[in-house]
Amino acid sequence: MKERIQLCLRNLARHGWRTRIILLIALFGSFLTFVSENMLEDVSIKQSDMFGRSFAGHFRILAKGIETKNTFGFYYYEPEEMLQPEEIASVKQFLAGMPEVSGSQERIVFTGLLYGKDDAEKGFRGVAMDMGAYNKELTDLYYAKGIPVRRGEAQTCAASWAEYDKNKIVEIGKRYVFLLPNREGEFVDRFVTVAGGIDYHSMPKDTMGVGNMFFDLDGFRSLVGYEKPLASEVVGFLRDARMANKVLPRIDAYLQEHNPRLKVVSWREYAPIFAEIVLGFDVAMRAIEGILIAICILLVIKLTTFSIIERYSEIGTMRALGFSRADIAFQFALEGFLIIAAGALIGFLLGSAVIGGFHIAGIHNKTTFFAWVIGNGFSPGFHADKIVTVSAIFLAVAVLAPLLPAAQGSRLSILKTLERR
Amino acid sequence: MNGITIKGLRKDYHLGKTVVRALKGIDLDIKSGSFACVAGPSGSGKTTLLNMIGLIDTPTGGSVRIAGEDIQTLSEKSRTRYRSRTLGFIFQSFNLLPVLDVFENIHLPLILHGEISREEKHERVMELVRAVGLEEHIRHKPFELSGGQRQRVAIARALVTHPLIVLADEPTANLDSVTGNEVLDLMERINRERGTTFIFSSHDPGIMERAARVIRLHDGEVQAA
Repeated sequence: MKERIQLCLRNLARHGWRTRIILLIALFGSFLTFVSENMLEDVSIKQSDMFGRSFAGHFRILAKGIETKNTFGFYYYEPEEMLQPEEIASVKQFLAGMPEVSGSQERIVFTGLLYGKDDAEKGFRGVAMDMGAYNKELTDLYYAKGIPVRRGEAQTCAASWAEYDKNKIVEIGKRYVFLLPNREGEFVDRFVTVAGGIDYHSMPKDTMGVGNMFFDLDGFRSLVGYEKPLASEVVGFLRDARMANKVLPRIDAYLQEHNPRLKVVSWREYAPIFAEIVLGFDVAMRAIEGILIAICILLVIKLTTFSIIERYSEIGTMRALGFSRADIAFQFALEGFLIIAAGALIGFLLGSAVIGGFHIAGIHNKTTFFAWVIGNGFSPGFHADKIVTVSAIFLAVAVLAPLLPAAQGSRLSILKTLERR
Repeated sequence: MNGITIKGLRKDYHLGKTVVRALKGIDLDIKSGSFACVAGPSGSGKTTLLNMIGLIDTPTGGSVRIAGEDIQTLSEKSRTRYRSRTLGFIFQSFNLLPVLDVFENIHLPLILHGEISREEKHERVMELVRAVGLEEHIRHKPFELSGGQRQRVAIARALVTHPLIVLADEPTANLDSVTGNEVLDLMERINRERGTTFIFSSHDPGIMERAARVIRLHDGEVQAA
């Protein structure tokens, strides 16, 4: 075996540029696959964590007629469907008595309008709530997107379409005119000062949207002229998101008895959507990996075939000297295996170094767009199952890719290969 | 009998619709330990005959028996084994592997002989390196050798497995006459000392007269043996 490996190494050295190309392809493919598989796992864990804590740990109590599915919390409702102050108080009092619930607060979901360039109206959706009282343990997602808010401040993060169109910047502290819905559902124009929120200066301007606007609740009510402290929902937070299946039926039973106009909705209804987002991300990355591996296999086949053509006469000589077809096939397959395995090994080592580096430094995110995917960042690590999977894939590539040309080379006629110069 | 017995050996090549009769029913007996030359002009069938004996090509008809065994009826596996254990080849263009040095080229066929110890393999190669006078070039690659030196490496490679028969297709064709004669001297010496059967082809009268027996072919038939 040692002699055969030695012969392989000599031949690989002879096919200098071809060997280097196969090595680089295997290296590049294995590096990307190694890094992306491990990082994808971390992204997946981070997403599960974020979505789990931010969404699965929430539930909301609102009027039965409101359709919330596929709205991500920005749903539509009629003004009369809003919760009255006594309903809010009753629900909050009940929730306060439940040990599984860590807290609750009322919010107003609304749709607004603002003037864009040339007086064009731009719609946006927002949620007015008391950010200061928001359960910080469960709101990493919001915090990832903006600066932390302080109790007692009229915090808002607002994007002016007109300002954005003009300067590509929205400045905190500036005043903008908004059209906001009043109690009757009519739009009233109001000046809004951007007092805090998302730091638009540091985020990519092309990812800036006009949704997700957060006000303090009392500030919003006074802004749009609500006479009574109404709300469109009461949001509750579970101490442990896994308790939802036990806690929600009890809340539902309470509502049926005391507030039959209301229903409890779990944020879990968004789980399939988030699962799809995660799946989409995975599929995209796997498609890239698959294409890379396919290119790797095709190039290995092509380049090994070139090597065989170049060594026709040697194949004939070796066959005449007593090497069997299997010996010849094995020789070429071994050459392919050695070079792919070497490339993959270097790729894994480089990938490990990159993951290790990121593990120490951490991956930090300041953009809004990727906040939905990775929040404010994460620290990647090594995942044994992914390492085993990636190793198995490249082992299979190293074994299988050279097999076809190796088998073809071994089937050549001795006479014809000897005649070839 | 330990030699080679050929009976009614025929070989037809089909070139499109044309059938070329390369061997037209050859009958031959070559004794073990012979130093025989297959002579004849180009196209007479010399190489085809050697290819049949060497199991490199298959005949259209007839039989080749070596030590009483009809080698044409052997399975692919047995033919391969036969080439490895019983036959040795010397090619006109030497056919050395360019990536291997002199020692490794001679050693190459021994890769297949797991039953031989590493020490014995080394000893065999070194013995042949000395026999062909290439001790000083043992780590040289083929491109660093002259034509005559390359052919001597090829002879050593053909002999390293201790074959019964060595087939050499125009072994001196790519060499000048002095070097060609040196190669013949070497083959003759090995034939004499080891009793290895040598069958080589040539159309050079100078080479033919060195052979103990000359088998003359013409148009695929034995003219004189």
